[in-house]
Amino acid sequence: MTAPPRFRTLDANEAVADVAYRLSEVIAIYPITPASAMGEHADAWATDRRANLWGAVPEVVEMQSEGGAAGAVHGALQAGALTTTFTASQGLLLMLPDLFKVAGELTAFCLHVAARTVATHALSIFGDHSDVMAARSTGMALLASGSAQEAQDLAAIAHAATLLARVPVLHFFDGFRTSHEITRVAPLDDETLRSLVDADAVRAHRARALDPDRPVVRGTSQNPDAYFQSREAVEPFYARFPAVLDATMARFAELTGRRYRPFEYAGHPEADRVVVLMGSGAECAHETVEHLLGQGERVGVLKVRLFRPFSIEHLLAALPASVRALTVLDRTKEPGSSAEPLLQELTSALVEAVARGERDALPRLCGGRYGLASKEFTPAMVRAVFDNMAAAAPRRRFTVGIRDDVSGSSLPYDADFDLEPDDVSRALFFGLGADGTVSANKATIKIIGEETALFAQGHFEYDSRKAGSTTISHLRFGPRPIRSTYRIRRAQFIAIHDPEFVERRDVLSAAMPGATVLLNSSVAPERVWASLPREVQGRLIEQRCRLFVIDGYGVAEAAGLARRINTVMQICFFSLSGVLPPAEAMEHLRRSIEETWGRRGPEVVKRNFAALDAALAALHEVEVPAAVTSERRRLEVVPAHAPDFVQRVTRLLLEGRGDELPVSAFPPDGTWPGGTSRFEKRALALEIPIWQPELCVQCNFCSMICPHAAIQTLVFDPAQLAHAPPGFRSVPESFEPALEGMHYTVQVAPEDCTGCGLCVEVCPAKDRLKPRRKALVSEPLAVHREAEREAFAFFQTLESAPLAGLPIDKRTAALRLPLFEFSGACAGCGETPYIRLLTQLFGDHLLIANATGCSSIYGGNLPTTPYTTNREGRGPAWSNSLFEDNAEFGFGMRLGLDVRHDRARALLAAMAPSLPPPLLDGLLAPGSGEAWIDAQRRRIGELAALLERDDSPAARALLEDVGALVPRSLWIVGGDGWAYDIGFGGLDHVLASHKKVNVLVLDTEVYSNTGGQQSKATPLGAAAKFASAGKATRKKDLGLLAMSYGHVYVAEVAMQARSAQTVEAFLEAERHPGPSLIIAHSPCIAHGYDLVRSPAQQKRAIDSGMWPLYRFDPARVDRGEAPLVLDSGPEKIDVSKYMENEARFRMVELRSPERYAMLLEASRVAVRQRRALYEQLAGIHLPPEKPNG
Amino acid sequence: MADLTTSWLGLTLRSPIVVAASPLSRDPEAIAAAVASGAGAVVMHSLFEEQLAHEQMAAHRFLDARTDLDAEARSFLPASEVFAIDAGPYLAELDRLRRRVDVPILASLNGTTPGGWTSYAKRLESAGADALELNLYEVATSPDETGAAVEERQLDVVRSVVGCVRLPVTVKLSPFYASVPSFVRRLEQAGARGVAVFNRFYQPDIALDELDVDRRLVLSTPAELPLRLHALALLSPTVSLSLSCAGGVHSGLDAAKAILCGAHAVQLASALLLHGPGHVGVVLAELTRWLDEKGYRSSAEARGVLDLSSAPDPHAWERLNYARMLDGWR
Repeated sequence: MTAPPRFRTLDANEAVADVAYRLSEVIAIYPITPASAMGEHADAWATDRRANLWGAVPEVVEMQSEGGAAGAVHGALQAGALTTTFTASQGLLLMLPDLFKVAGELTAFCLHVAARTVATHALSIFGDHSDVMAARSTGMALLASGSAQEAQDLAAIAHAATLLARVPVLHFFDGFRTSHEITRVAPLDDETLRSLVDADAVRAHRARALDPDRPVVRGTSQNPDAYFQSREAVEPFYARFPAVLDATMARFAELTGRRYRPFEYAGHPEADRVVVLMGSGAECAHETVEHLLGQGERVGVLKVRLFRPFSIEHLLAALPASVRALTVLDRTKEPGSSAEPLLQELTSALVEAVARGERDALPRLCGGRYGLASKEFTPAMVRAVFDNMAAAAPRRRFTVGIRDDVSGSSLPYDADFDLEPDDVSRALFFGLGADGTVSANKATIKIIGEETALFAQGHFEYDSRKAGSTTISHLRFGPRPIRSTYRIRRAQFIAIHDPEFVERRDVLSAAMPGATVLLNSSVAPERVWASLPREVQGRLIEQRCRLFVIDGYGVAEAAGLARRINTVMQICFFSLSGVLPPAEAMEHLRRSIEETWGRRGPEVVKRNFAALDAALAALHEVEVPAAVTSERRRLEVVPAHAPDFVQRVTRLLLEGRGDELPVSAFPPDGTWPGGTSRFEKRALALEIPIWQPELCVQCNFCSMICPHAAIQTLVFDPAQLAHAPPGFRSVPESFEPALEGMHYTVQVAPEDCTGCGLCVEVCPAKDRLKPRRKALVSEPLAVHREAEREAFAFFQTLESAPLAGLPIDKRTAALRLPLFEFSGACAGCGETPYIRLLTQLFGDHLLIANATGCSSIYGGNLPTTPYTTNREGRGPAWSNSLFEDNAEFGFGMRLGLDVRHDRARALLAAMAPSLPPPLLDGLLAPGSGEAWIDAQRRRIGELAALLERDDSPAARALLEDVGALVPRSLWIVGGDGWAYDIGFGGLDHVLASHKKVNVLVLDTEVYSNTGGQQSKATPLGAAAKFASAGKATRKKDLGLLAMSYGHVYVAEVAMQARSAQTVEAFLEAERHPGPSLIIAHSPCIAHGYDLVRSPAQQKRAIDSGMWPLYRFDPARVDRGEAPLVLDSGPEKIDVSKYMENEARFRMVELRSPERYAMLLEASRVAVRQRRALYEQLAGIHLPPEKPNG
Repeated sequence: MADLTTSWLGLTLRSPIVVAASPLSRDPEAIAAAVASGAGAVVMHSLFEEQLAHEQMAAHRFLDARTDLDAEARSFLPASEVFAIDAGPYLAELDRLRRRVDVPILASLNGTTPGGWTSYAKRLESAGADALELNLYEVATSPDETGAAVEERQLDVVRSVVGCVRLPVTVKLSPFYASVPSFVRRLEQAGARGVAVFNRFYQPDIALDELDVDRRLVLSTPAELPLRLHALALLSPTVSLSLSCAGGVHSGLDAAKAILCGAHAVQLASALLLHGPGHVGVVLAELTRWLDEKGYRSSAEARGVLDLSSAPDPHAWERLNYARMLDGWR
C-alpha cells in the first residue's frame, strides 16, 4: 500500500465530506448551494463502494427537502446509526425543528454547514452566518472553522466529541470563501480517525437506539408538571461539552500535531486591543495582526471556534487580561437587536467574568458587522477596526466593508492598505465559464500544492449568468500558509482569457508595477497594441506591464478542442510566471492531462497534448510603447439612453464595481425596476442568425423557439418604414389574409443573441437551389453587428399591427411582444420559451410567483433582470419567495388579488347611483380575453376620469383600486425540484382549492440549478446525481395526481416540438375557472447533449411515449365528453431511440449494459402502461356536475 | 446429410453460416439464438475508432465544458469518471459473447489512425477475440489522394495489424477497387488470412419533401448477391485466402451459390435482422437440403465448383459475359 500524499489540494466541502463520510453510516441530504458538493462527494464515493471507518458503505440518500433530510437523520439516529448531513441557509432553517429534537434527546450527531446568507429582501447564495445564527437556540453546539484544513480537522473533532458528550454539533465554515476555496490540506488517514473516535462512545450511541428487544419510549408529550425540569436535566451535558471538546482537540493534536482550542488567541501576549470573530474572516484578521505586530502594535485576534455552548472559562483562558478594547465582529445582521449575537455573547460573558471577580474591569466593547453575503473582508478593514479601538471615542457600533451613507454606520478604511508580501505569487484569470479556465486553475493548484513545497490557494468568482458566464480565478502561491481570505488586489500576473473582457471591465486594476499580462486574442501580435482601448493601453504603460498575446482560440481549434482554451492558457501561465521550471511544468501538465482526461479516452488526451505542444510557439510578447496611441475608449457597458437608475447602479454592478455603491443607492426593501436586461449588451454569440427574406415562409418557428427572445417576428404597418435604417428588412405579410397590406419582419437582437442556433435549426424554409441555405443563416456577429444593432433599434420603435381580432395560435402568439427578454439562461435553454410565451399571451396583466431555482436566477438575479413592460408600461409583476413555499406564495397572491378585486367591485356597486348605467354594467359584466380586457381598460379610463372629479371618500377609495377591475392572470412558476419534491405538499394543497391559480412546471427532470441531482421527475433509467447508476423508479406522474381531483385543468406540453398544443393548453388553463397545472418538457444541459438538437430530441420524447402530450379539461365533463384528450399518438419509435441520444441515459449503458438493458425494458413497460392508462382515461365518460340542459 | 464443417481463417466452424457484423451482436441473447440455430461463428459489429473519438470529444464538450462554470453547480451530471468512452464497452460485449456462446467470435475493427488500428487490434486480441475482421470502410472524398495511395495506405494498415497480433486477420473489402484480384493478392502478401466481399456502404437516400439527405439504413436484398458471387468466383482460384461472402445472402440457396463460387463462409446480417436470429436454422436447413439433393457430401466439396477455374464455362465470369448478354437481347 502506498503512503497517502503528505498534502492534498482540496476545498473545505471535499475535505469535510471526506471525514464525515468515513465517520457515518447514514447520510441523508438535500442539495443546496454552497453545501451541495459535500453530498455529491458522499454520493460519488458510495457509488464507488468506498467504505467508512467500519468497513461498510454508508447509505447516502437524497430526500425531498431539508426538512425531509432532517427527519431521516433524526430517525436514523434513533435507530442507532452514525449519521450526518450537509446543508446551508434555507436548508438549515428547514432542519430547525428536528435539530431541536435531536439536541433535546442528547443525540450524538454532527451536521456540517457551508454557512450562507438567509434570504431576506433578496436571496443570496453567498456566505455569512445568518443561517447558523438562526440555529443558535436549537441546543446544537456551534463550531466554526476558518479554512479547509481547519474544516477537515474540526469535522473529525466534532464527530468524535459529539459521541463523547452527547451534545450534537453544528460545524460550520464560510460558504464559498471556505467551502469552495482550494488550498493545500494535510489529509487525515483512517488510522488517525480511528484513534480519535472513541469506540466505547460509538457502542454507547448504538446502545441508545430504539430496539424492541429492550423497548423504551422517546418523544413523549409532557405537561407543565414535567417539561421544565426535564428540559433542565440536559444542563450537565452542555456544561461538560467545552471540556470534552478541548480534550478531543488535545487528543487530535497528539495524533496530528495540530492543536485547536475552543477559543484561540493569536497576537501580542499583552495586547491592548483585540478583535474577536469566527470563520474565514479570522484568517484575514490573523494575517493583519501579524503584520501590525511587526509594526510594534499591541494587538491580537481571538478566534471563536466554539460559539455554543459558550464557555466563559475557555474564553478567559484565551483572552489576554491586558486587553483594554475589544471589538467583536459579526458576519450577520439581526435588525433591531441591541447587538449582534457574538457581541451579545461576549458582552454577557465578560460582564459575568467581572461579576464573578475573574476580571477586574470590562474592556471597552465595540461591535461591527462585516462580510454579509461574502462581501470582501480585507486587512484594510481589520486595520480600520484596530484603529477605531485606538481612537479617543471609538465607534461603538459600526459596519465595515461598505459605505453606509444612510445610517452612517460604516467605518472608513484605507482601501489602498495592503500587506501581501512579494514572495507570494498572485495571479488573476478572467475566463468564460465554458472555456475551462477554472478547471485548469484547479489543476494548476493541484500541481503546485501537491508537487512542490509551495502553499497554494485558489478562489473562484462566478457571475450569475448561465450563458456566457464570466469567471475570475484568484491564485496565490507562497512559501508560508496563506491566510489571505480575500480577493487578490495586487497581482503580478493577469490573464485575460477572452478579448471581450478588456472592452467591458477594468481587468488591469489589480496589475502591480511590472505585472505580466497575458491576453488571448485572435488579432495578430503586431496589431494587438493598436486594438486595445485607451484605458487599457494607459494602465499597461503606467504599471510598466509586460504584455503577451496568444491566439488561444486558434491553437485550441487547430487541436480540435473548439474554443476550450484551458490547456493552452495554462501552459502559457506556467511559462510566463516561472512558478515552476519550464520542463517540469510541461511534464506536470502532461501528467495532469492524462489523469484528468484519460478517463474520457485517448482522443481527448491526444488533442489536449496537441494544444499543449502548439501553445508556446504561438505565444508572443507585444512591445508596450511609451505613450497611449489608441483613440478608442472602452465600450460603454450600458447605453447612454438607459434610465438614471441603470446609469447609477446597474452600470457599476455590470462593471464589477458594485462594491463601490453606497447604501443609499439601493432600494431598502428589495424592490427593483424591471426590464434592465435590455441594457446589458453581452454580445456572446460568435455567429448570429441573419434573415433571408426571400426564402422566409413567415412561420415564426424561429421566434417561437428562441430561449432569449433574441429573434423576434413582427407584423406592422409599412407606413412606419420611412426612417428605417438600410439594414432593416421587411416583406409584405403573406400568411394571414386579415393582415393584408401589412409588412412582416424577422429581427435578431445581435448583442443579446447567445448563438445557440435553435432558430436556424428549426427554420423549415430552404433555398431550393442551395438547400444548405435556409431563411435564417448563421453568420459572424462581427460582420453584422453594426447593421443589425441599428436594425434592431429601429425594430423596437415599430408598433405591431393590431392582432387582437386574430385567433391566438402558435403563429400569432409568436407575433406578440415578449415581455421576458434577454435573460441569463443557458444558450439553448428549454425553459425560457415557455415563460416568454406566457408573457406574450398574458403579459400585461400577469403576476408570477416563482420558485427558487434556475427560473428565479435567470428571472431575478442581479445585475439585470429580464421581465419588462410594453408601451403602456404594463408587464409581468414577478416575485420569488422561497423554494419550498412557491405554490402557497402564489396562492396567497391570488387571495390578495381577489380581495382587491372584490373591494373594487363593492366600491363600484356602492357608487352605482352616481355612475352612468352602461358604464357600470360594462365594468361589472364578466369577461375575458384580450379584446375584453382592452374594452375594460377603456371603461376603467372613463370611470377614473369621472372619479377624478369626485371628492367623496368612496370615489377616492375606488380610484385607488380601479385597476383591479381587470382580472389578473396569476401564474405559479417553478421547476420539477419544487413541484415534484420540496413544494409538492403545498402544490397539492393549492390544487385542491377552487382558486383560480395557474401552475407552470418547467420540468427538466432534474435539479438543474444546483447541478443535476435527481428529483422525482427524473425518468426511469436516467443517471443523475444520487442516481448515478440510473434511476430505478418511474417518474412521478404529477399530472395524473392532479387529474384525480377532477376539478383541476392539467396539461402536459412540449413546445419545441409541438407549440400549437402548448399555446392551446396555456389558453385553456387561463380560461379554466379553477386551478390549472401545466407540465412543460424542458430540455436542459443536465441531459448531456447538444441542445441545438433539442427539437428533434423532444420529438423523440413524444414519439417514444416518454413524454405524452395531453390536456385534461374538467369543462369537457359538463359537455358530456371525456375530460382527457391525448394530443400525441401511440409510440412511433422505441424508447431506446430517445434514450440513446442523451448522456444521462448513455452513461448508464456505458457503466453497466446489463442494468441499462433492464432499465430500458422497464421504461418500455412504463411507457406502455402509462399509455394504456391514458387511453382508457381518454375514453371514460363521467357524469357532469351540472346536468346539461 | 451433408457435412457442414468448415475451415475458415484456420478456425474450424461447425457450419459456414456466420453472423455478420451488425447491431445483432450487441444482444447476447440474439447471438445465442443464432448460434443455437447453427451459426458457425459470429462477427461483432465494428469498433469504429472515429466514432469513439467523436464520442469522447462530445463527452468532453457536453460534460467537461459544463463543469466549473457556475457558482451553484460544479457539474450537471454525476461524477464523470463513469462516462469513459473507449473500447471498454466493446471489450465487455466481446467478453459477454464469449461467455454466452461457444463458437469463434471475431472482432471487427475500423480504425482511422495507424496507431489506432494497432492499439485497438492488440486490445481486441487480449480480450479474447478468435480472429479480427478489419473493416477498411472509408469514404474517399479527397480528390487529392489517388486510388493507388488509398490502397497503399490500406495495405500498410493490414501489414501493421498483422505484425502486432497473432490472431488470424481477415479484411472486409469494398467493391470499389480498379482490380479487386490484384488488391486481394497484395492483401495476402501483406499477411491477411482472409477477405470478406463486400462491405455494404452507407449510402444515404434523398428525402424529397425535406430537400435533404435521408440517412436511414436500408437492409440488403438478394439483388446484391450477384456482385459478390462474381468477385468470389474470380478470387477463389487466384488466392489461398479464406473467402467469405457478405451481403445479399438471405436464404440457403443464396448461401449455396456463394459456396459454389468459392466462399468458405457465408455471412448473414440483414436476413437475421429481418427474420430474427433463428433464421440461421432456416438457411442451414435449406442449404443442407440442396447439398443433399445434389449429392454433395459436404459444403467443402461444393466450395468453388463454379469459380473461374471450375465453372463449365469460365468465360461466363469474365467480361464477355456482358457482351454476350447484350447479344442475347438482340
